[in-house]
Amino acid sequence: MPEWGGGRTTLEMIVQELQHPVRLDESFERRVMVRVRRLHAERRSRGWVAVASRITHRPGWAAALAASVVAVVTIGLIKSRPDAAPDHGVGTAPVQFVLVAPNAHSVAVVGDFNNWGLNDSALVATNHEGVWSVTAPVPAGVHRYAFVVNGKQWVADPSAPRSTDDDFGMPSSALVVEDSAR
Amino acid sequence: MNRTARGFATVALAAAAFAPAHAQDPRLGNRPDAPTRTAILAILDSAKAQGIPLEPLVQKMNQGLAAGADGPRIVAAVRNLKAEMATAHRELGTVATADEIQAAAFAVHAGVPAVELGKIKKQSGLRRSLTLPFTVLADIVSRGVPVEAGVNAIRSLVGAGAKDADINNFQRNVSGDIAKGAPPAAAAETRAKAVPAGKPESTRPDQDDF
Repeated sequence: MPEWGGGRTTLEMIVQELQHPVRLDESFERRVMVRVRRLHAERRSRGWVAVASRITHRPGWAAALAASVVAVVTIGLIKSRPDAAPDHGVGTAPVQFVLVAPNAHSVAVVGDFNNWGLNDSALVATNHEGVWSVTAPVPAGVHRYAFVVNGKQWVADPSAPRSTDDDFGMPSSALVVEDSAR
Repeated sequence: MNRTARGFATVALAAAAFAPAHAQDPRLGNRPDAPTRTAILAILDSAKAQGIPLEPLVQKMNQGLAAGADGPRIVAAVRNLKAEMATAHRELGTVATADEIQAAAFAVHAGVPAVELGKIKKQSGLRRSLTLPFTVLADIVSRGVPVEAGVNAIRSLVGAGAKDADINNFQRNVSGDIAKGAPPAAAAETRAKAVPAGKPESTRPDQDDF
């Protein structure tokens, strides 16, 4: 392993490592071609249409490919750092759900963006003197949702379009979230 | 393993391979009871064959389960939604997005003829999403705006290039007016006139802006 001095960036160290010439066994190309010809012969014997092309070994291209892989992995690691800025993901937008319910003990939001609260995935709103609210990232698209007051009473959002397919006797609302990535 | 056993194993593997892909669909989970699950899977199979989005159907089932509805009621609701989406899909054509089809199904459910939705789609071209206009149309019709007045209002808004924010405001204003006692048709017609005209949508979707 090369000794990497202080003060250099990770990328510089990766580039230096990749600049080392790649040394391979001299018989490498011969062994690869033997395997390729054998595979080609097997396919022909099965009646498949197979087109084999000569595989050449080019250390420069191999180094470039390796560099690409390392770069992608490195970028991925950097993006997934726990201290990175919160990312709501492509195609989602933060949506604030608000319900005025001064006498409520609890308010939650269920909808098709959280599988209607099944498996305890309901969004729990917080109370600000009777104004209950919760903000959550919601995927772009059209959604139906409802407030659940005190764990049992379903209430439509009075400030949103109605969802007209009230098949279960529970009012609900419609929400259209624009895709900010578009 | 003798030849007979191998034969049985092969048949079993083939049957598993050709079973409907969503038979193991984790979205259904094991929440619905067996008859409900079987019926829902059949509806999903049919929807998939027709190119209808499946996710709204799965969510309709989830909504029913969360509401504590019984199996037959859930199946009926999912079947109705599938039929409404199929109708919308036929009228809007293959250019419609899954969201537009779902929103159009809301409007169909509210009583808007699907053919009117198809006309709005043709009028707007490809670039303008009609998800919100269809959602708002369903809403105002459900609040008492006559279908013809609602369709005319939405057509005039879309034709004038109104943005989604304008259409959201239109919905709030119309519902507010109706709540205060205004005749629904008059509220829709008047509020549609008040929306600022944007750039009219092109009927030629391949025309670029320069």
